[in-house]
Amino acid sequence: MKITRRKIDEEIPTSSMADIAFLLIIYFMVTTTFAATRGIDFSLPQDEDTPLVDKEESVLIEIQPGGVLLVDNKSMLLEEVLDYLKPKLERNPMKPVIIRAGEMTEYGYMVDVFDEIRQAPDKIGFEIKNVSIPTQREINMFWY
Amino acid sequence: MKLLVRSVQNQGIPTASMADIAFLLIIFFMVTINFEVDKTQVLLPKTQIRLEIPKKAAYISVTESGQIRVSGGEEISVPVSQADVLSFAADVVARDPAKEFVLKADRNVPYRYVDAVIDSLKQAKAQVIYLLSEQETISVAPGG
Repeated sequence: MKITRRKIDEEIPTSSMADIAFLLIIYFMVTTTFAATRGIDFSLPQDEDTPLVDKEESVLIEIQPGGVLLVDNKSMLLEEVLDYLKPKLERNPMKPVIIRAGEMTEYGYMVDVFDEIRQAPDKIGFEIKNVSIPTQREINMFWY
Repeated sequence: MKLLVRSVQNQGIPTASMADIAFLLIIFFMVTINFEVDKTQVLLPKTQIRLEIPKKAAYISVTESGQIRVSGGEEISVPVSQADVLSFAADVVARDPAKEFVLKADRNVPYRYVDAVIDSLKQAKAQVIYLLSEQETISVAPGG
């Protein structure tokens, strides 16, 4: 009597490979979030290079709630700030520019002012090097 | 007499390369995916200056109501109180003095919350802060 052995298929079944792959794609597409990974940099002064800033010798930009700007106690629009700073900084490039936002001022307005000042090379032709954002504790301790 | 033998066209869509394409897409997603360490939902301020933030930077997020979450850059962010930000920052700086910090604050948060965070970072001797922002689109007036 002839015994016939059933032939076993030696291939790896790959018919479901595409289904698995597309499931993985869908998983990645659904879970991927496009993270905001850009921002405006701000170097903090280290102890050894923190000079005491005299209010009289600097330009003070105060930001009030609602984005109202007072530059050296003069009311000003954001677009006018660099034009105001240009002649002062041409005479003294190291003149400190102090940005001071009120306690209840929305953070976004402070960033708007900082962004405007960082755009100085494009708008007025030179970089503003000495920008200071003192905290309330520093103002209480060092302001004179 | 048989005059014309029409060849039978295969009407199926060739799907043999489907799995290859799918795996290429999977590899693309796996390589480009960024795992966000902080998923706090905030309305970011908009700036024109936007620099790439280094990977593994430490995150501090501040919501509109002033709630704070922190992450050392590798783990998922955890909520902390205002008073704990200084110890968190000091710990991060002690491990890596050049570590960058990312401040992810809501544009509508009162500045006093951000001021307190910046003050903690200054006291912890952090060197650089990135103020996370969205791209500001420049609107051009018609004919302008």
